[in-house]
Amino acid sequence: MVRKGPGSAAGRAGAMPGGRALPGAVGALCRAMPPRARLVPEGLRRAKLDRPQATLDFWRLLYALLKQIHGGKWSEADAIDTQIRFVKLALWYQGYGRPELYRLPSDGSAGSRELLLAFSWLLHRISLLEQLLARNRVRTGDETSVCMCEDDLSQSEQGTTEIAPEYGPEDRVDVRYLQWLNGRLRFQWRSLHAQHQEQCKLLHKIHLLTSGSHVDQILGHFSVTEMDLIRQTENYKQLVQLLERETMQLEAFLEWKQLEPVYWQWMETVLDNMAEEGNMCKPQDAHIEKSSLPKVTSCCPWADSLTGQINKLSRDLMALRDQLHELVTHRKSAWEEKPAERRRLISLQRQFPAGPCEPVLLRVRGLGKEATSEMLELGDEAKSLGAHVKDDREGSPRALVVPSNEAVKCQIKIGWEINVTKTHLKGKS
Amino acid sequence: MLGTQPCEARTPQVPHTGTSPPAPRELRAVGGQGRAVAAGGGRRSGAAPEPLGGAPRAGAALPRISPASYRAWPGRTELGKPGRAGPCCLRAAGGESRPSPKELEELELLNRALEKALRVRKSISKTPLEAQVALAEKPTGEGSAFENASEQQVPVSGRDVPVSREARAVSKKPASMKKPSPYQLRAPYRTDPDVKKTQRRAPARCVSQGPRTAGKSSSKGAVSRQGKSHRPASSASDQGVCAATELQNAPGSSKSALKEQQSSIRDSSGEGNLVAAGRQLIDAGKKSCGSHGESSRKENPTAEGGSTSPRTVTIQQQGCQLKLPHPYRKAYSRNCRAWERSRLCQTSADAAAARKRFTERIQTTFCSPMPALSPVEIEEELKVLQDIPSLLSQYVEAEPADHPTLQREYESLLTLEGLQSTVSQCLRKLQLLQAAVESQKRLHPDCTGDVGSCCPACVPARGRACGGAGTLAVPLLWYSSFQELRDLFALKLQVSMLHQEIALQKLTMTELLPVLESEACPEASAAQLYRAIYTQLCEGGKRFPVLVRDELAD
Repeated sequence: MVRKGPGSAAGRAGAMPGGRALPGAVGALCRAMPPRARLVPEGLRRAKLDRPQATLDFWRLLYALLKQIHGGKWSEADAIDTQIRFVKLALWYQGYGRPELYRLPSDGSAGSRELLLAFSWLLHRISLLEQLLARNRVRTGDETSVCMCEDDLSQSEQGTTEIAPEYGPEDRVDVRYLQWLNGRLRFQWRSLHAQHQEQCKLLHKIHLLTSGSHVDQILGHFSVTEMDLIRQTENYKQLVQLLERETMQLEAFLEWKQLEPVYWQWMETVLDNMAEEGNMCKPQDAHIEKSSLPKVTSCCPWADSLTGQINKLSRDLMALRDQLHELVTHRKSAWEEKPAERRRLISLQRQFPAGPCEPVLLRVRGLGKEATSEMLELGDEAKSLGAHVKDDREGSPRALVVPSNEAVKCQIKIGWEINVTKTHLKGKS
Repeated sequence: MLGTQPCEARTPQVPHTGTSPPAPRELRAVGGQGRAVAAGGGRRSGAAPEPLGGAPRAGAALPRISPASYRAWPGRTELGKPGRAGPCCLRAAGGESRPSPKELEELELLNRALEKALRVRKSISKTPLEAQVALAEKPTGEGSAFENASEQQVPVSGRDVPVSREARAVSKKPASMKKPSPYQLRAPYRTDPDVKKTQRRAPARCVSQGPRTAGKSSSKGAVSRQGKSHRPASSASDQGVCAATELQNAPGSSKSALKEQQSSIRDSSGEGNLVAAGRQLIDAGKKSCGSHGESSRKENPTAEGGSTSPRTVTIQQQGCQLKLPHPYRKAYSRNCRAWERSRLCQTSADAAAARKRFTERIQTTFCSPMPALSPVEIEEELKVLQDIPSLLSQYVEAEPADHPTLQREYESLLTLEGLQSTVSQCLRKLQLLQAAVESQKRLHPDCTGDVGSCCPACVPARGRACGGAGTLAVPLLWYSSFQELRDLFALKLQVSMLHQEIALQKLTMTELLPVLESEACPEASAAQLYRAIYTQLCEGGKRFPVLVRDELAD
């Protein structure tokens, strides 16, 4: 059933089901985006039609979104080719594998449809919307992170606040300067600690003494921000606005979740279009600067650092493996020297995990008829738990009846090899 | 004979004046010496016995002593010397048993100056407090009564204090010859018994709030500011006073009471566990206490706050009645509800299916030998594996060499074998990861620019990515006691510090050890160099070993 809703993107690409719902879905999607990376529904439609004018905006959009995801700093003034490079790297990093995207020109002149595909892929793959909402959340409370991840110092983008003294190869740096720096560092840590403790104390005070005052019953108390809000209400008008804006964003998100299926179906039509046109496009892109020559291996610091880590870990693990090998062999040989029956017994005991169980019957097969009761000694405790030897008609011990695993764990000294079969006793033993 | 007399006369313990005739010259000499000594002693803040020796007999010495000693009084008394010389001097000075009015005046001035200093110190910490109180009350629309009252937060009982202090000062002045200004200072801190009585007079616990009486608690360390007497006002406000009154008892309460209150918080908090990796800090204790602003909780911080109690008490006095401004409240509750709904919202089955279809279709268009792991996944796997070697080694170390029973030995053997298999599994995984890295490297989009500019962009900063991908839930971190919060902060800081130390250690190792090996330094400083490097690398820069040069004597 074809329904052409107003402003629907059905247009040239043909009718699609749910034509009315699509604008709603796209509109909701756009409104759910963070404020700094806005998207207009028109942009999406143009991208589907692969209009070159939409390309730049799309690159910028992706740039802004990915920067937010990765927590980096960015500004709209960054050069377009930097932005494009970053987007390509980030997509590669997330595992996006369409070669066409990586072949797009660095001036942003073409490729909006590819970008649309990449955008939708991201939407699903990394839960783009949810992540953005979570990261940009308006913080009104006192927050702390309990993540213990180590910040990778080597990859930190921040410059050092203090520039190391310049010295040439002839100059020496006095090692006492190092010591001094080290002392300073320790001092800074200590004062930081003291300040943290102070902050903690004041925080606690606020929490404690404003309990019961908050609107939110679960929280119950104010945070530092809210405390300040009370004191200086005029400074916080913006906070209220931000909260309201975020609420609208969330409502758009909820709307989007309702209307999602329509969007994905629409995206499939994009793929359909591309498949139709597919064979015509590829030869055209071949002449773009990107060559398919194998990459120079030195160009990837990421791979190098990871390889370094992997090698280090392998080295450690291999050393450990050798150590363990030696230890285990040693222990094993010591174990083999122990009397066989004891060994068997113990491994037998391990077969029976602790806990209530049914009585088991252990068939004892001695070496012929020479097995006698004396060879099958039951410890007192085992006896008290009901273990007893069942003799066959001739009086030779043939079965060791153990009503429970507990009894097995007790000391049962067995003089012969035991073939253990666990047979559930039917009824009482 | 003559020779001996001067000797005798010289001994300080000979104060009798009767030695004059036989050797006047010598004595005079002695006296002169004594005088000199006396003068010196007078000038010196410590009074030596010599002047005593000289004093009775040398009338000339007397005037020198009394003004000198008089002037030296504040100094001497400040030093806290019980002033052995004092009373003696006094007696020597003419046996005055009462200090002269001038002296009294001067002492009074001294005490006033010290008071003022104390006041100034307190007022500095108080002015923001008062301002806050005033502002805090505006939104709540409290009447001026409150403002007045809050202003008088100190003088409520402060009036008692200076009065009594004055009285004490005056009455104690004669005795204060011995016990000087430190004693004076102690008076306000002593929380006069009558002040305490007013506090205890209204132990009523009720819901209404009376901010002003809280001021009494601050009297412990506070000094009256204006000396206005609002006792009638305060006693009027004593009735219908809230839990706040109990606050005042806090400073006076003993440590045991405090502990009891603290533990009551902990008990009432019920589940005070750290629930999840958190974003917000919440006090669990208040859950049970509801909104009645129980006193016990309020008392705690004042007791804990110690010197900051006067400052925060007045704000927090109204803590339970503070209200957020209406627009904020509205926005906040709407926002909260929207988040809750978003959190609970789930992807419908249709949507999930549609997503899946699209993703699968697009993935068929990816490069054909697509590596199994994306770079981000490789990194995550590696992160998991980072700690494995050290953990496993710990387990290996933990296995004892000897076992009491055969059973244990067997179990130990099995454990080791299990560890062995784990190690091989990890090694296999590492190989897989290495292969994935290689294949991803091939797909890496080429940086058209120079390699240098590529690096920072090459690996996008992780930021807070480890917090959990796109979950809309905001875990609340509950803490049940102040100690827990403190520990949290302290431990987090310690973790960061240790991370940094590890990184620095690695760096210093790679940088410094080659220096040792290069042997390019002169012999004399080599020892220092070794010592410094040893300290830096092995002792964390904290302890310095002692180097002993062992020289064999030829």
